[in-house]
Amino acid sequence: MKAEETILRLKEAFPDIGDDLKSPSPLRVFTPFLEPKRFEEVLIYAKDKLDYYRGLHIVGTDEGENLGFTYLVSNADGVILAIREIVPKSNPHIRSMSDIYPAMLMHERELVDLFGAEIEGLPEGPSYPLPDGWPKGQYPMRKEWNPKYFNKMTMTYEPPEEKATDTATAANDNKDNAAKTAADEKSTAGGGASK
Amino acid sequence: MSEGLTIPIGPQHPSLKEPVSFLITLDGEVVKKAVIELGYNHRGLEKACESRTYIQDLYIIERVCGICSHAHSYAYCRCVEELAGLQTPRRAEYIRGIVGELERLHSHLLWLGVAGHEIGFDTLFMYTWRDRERVLDLLAEIGGNRVNYGINTIGGVRRDLDENICQHILDVMDGLEEQIKYYAELANTEATLIARLAGIGILTRDDVIKYGAVGPVARAAGIMDDVRIVEPYGVFTEIKVNGVTDDHADVYGRTVVRIKEMLESIRLIRLMVKEMPDGPISVRAPRRIPTGEIIIRVEAPRGEDVHYLRSNGTDKPDRVRVRAPSEANWHGMKHMLEGFHFADVPIIIAAIDPCYSCTDRAIMLRSDKGDTVTDWESLRRTGIERYKKMGIDPSKIRMRTSGV
Repeated sequence: MKAEETILRLKEAFPDIGDDLKSPSPLRVFTPFLEPKRFEEVLIYAKDKLDYYRGLHIVGTDEGENLGFTYLVSNADGVILAIREIVPKSNPHIRSMSDIYPAMLMHERELVDLFGAEIEGLPEGPSYPLPDGWPKGQYPMRKEWNPKYFNKMTMTYEPPEEKATDTATAANDNKDNAAKTAADEKSTAGGGASK
Repeated sequence: MSEGLTIPIGPQHPSLKEPVSFLITLDGEVVKKAVIELGYNHRGLEKACESRTYIQDLYIIERVCGICSHAHSYAYCRCVEELAGLQTPRRAEYIRGIVGELERLHSHLLWLGVAGHEIGFDTLFMYTWRDRERVLDLLAEIGGNRVNYGINTIGGVRRDLDENICQHILDVMDGLEEQIKYYAELANTEATLIARLAGIGILTRDDVIKYGAVGPVARAAGIMDDVRIVEPYGVFTEIKVNGVTDDHADVYGRTVVRIKEMLESIRLIRLMVKEMPDGPISVRAPRRIPTGEIIIRVEAPRGEDVHYLRSNGTDKPDRVRVRAPSEANWHGMKHMLEGFHFADVPIIIAAIDPCYSCTDRAIMLRSDKGDTVTDWESLRRTGIERYKKMGIDPSKIRMRTSGV
């Protein structure tokens, strides 16, 4: 099934998301961010009705106040369908899809460790990929988590007490970077010599 | 004994080349249950990429894996190039193709040697690693380094191939082809090799689909998932790849697929050297990349390498996600081990050509002060406590504290 047909079938089955489906290239289809229940319906439909039988992986993203989880699945024609769900950081509760796509299991464990997702129905097993002594409640792939406050020796995360200072530091960093970028704008990132 | 005997293998173990932990529960000699614990190589590469520029990230990404470094940097470059709307020169794509196939050759030769070593066939190990050196010498000649050749850059490649190097590549291919044909004959006729590899670590076609296995593991079960064929990119839009599959679905099948793929790589390299057009090897790339997101896949030696990149209009990416082929192949590992003999565990593990650094997306870091993080005694204590939590008590083992 090609990307166009995938979009047509999804539009028929889920008219409310139809206009927001994107296909930036011939073998890619992206859904918009969906709330978890709708996401599950679309994912099961893709597996059962559209024959997207292969689970590729999951991309976790920080969406400001929310967390986005993009599940990538693929079919026999090599089309990659990105089905996405969004949950608030304050309650990042989703259901495990590893019963539908067993290949997603390790990637879901990664969402738990790195993004702090609470995944219902995740089978018991070792966590992945953070080490045993990792401090609880620290999710390194969230944007607000800054590696410079993490002490590798003591395995503790110690941000400055004043949150305002934290923000100011980040703002200064950005300012410095912007200035540096502007100064370097003329040079090329390519760097290769022409023949 | 009704519950079986549980044996921990790793994270540090002589039969493992990199850290990973297996808890193997046996019923006699047969593996009843396997629990795999990964993550020992995790160093936060993806987080590191978010605070560095696109060109700096290229060098981090290249170090995801020491063996298939070109595949990772190629996938990353393609992500950035597509988002920036860059059209890379044809000559650059040919050079990328040649280096990619040389990388496949050295990776498969390395694997064949490791497989030989795991089954006690060390002559094969020494033969293949001798041949691999010839490929590594070529890669060093092209990029200046045996691994992490740094050939890719955003917008093309960093080094051109002159006539001398091209001729040298062709000369090495002649010698290598002869050797690989010999290995192919060996795989077809050597009774010990066949008896040791056939029928173990089976992952059927249905299981490959279920567990999402990729690369030679999938192709050995008859599934053609070669990205160079499914979704041709770069030079492979012009030069067609003859896909290799097999129907054994076991470790032997994976061996056959890899040997045949090496012969195909030699054919492709010869063709690419012959057909390589003249012209520039790179185009200028902007520092800031327009907002967008992209999924790119490249066929690494171990299988499909998927990169996701999201840009935000600045000179640093918003999110980089690397799904290396080894990461996909781990899901089926438990299934491949269970039901087979304990003595076959090392070769079954080796048969997916596992790369732990790829899986965990690591870069090696030393402590800031350059000193050791922990002393021997506390390391031992931590290890004992950890295994006690798993129900195994190694504290009774007598340790020699001095004078080894």
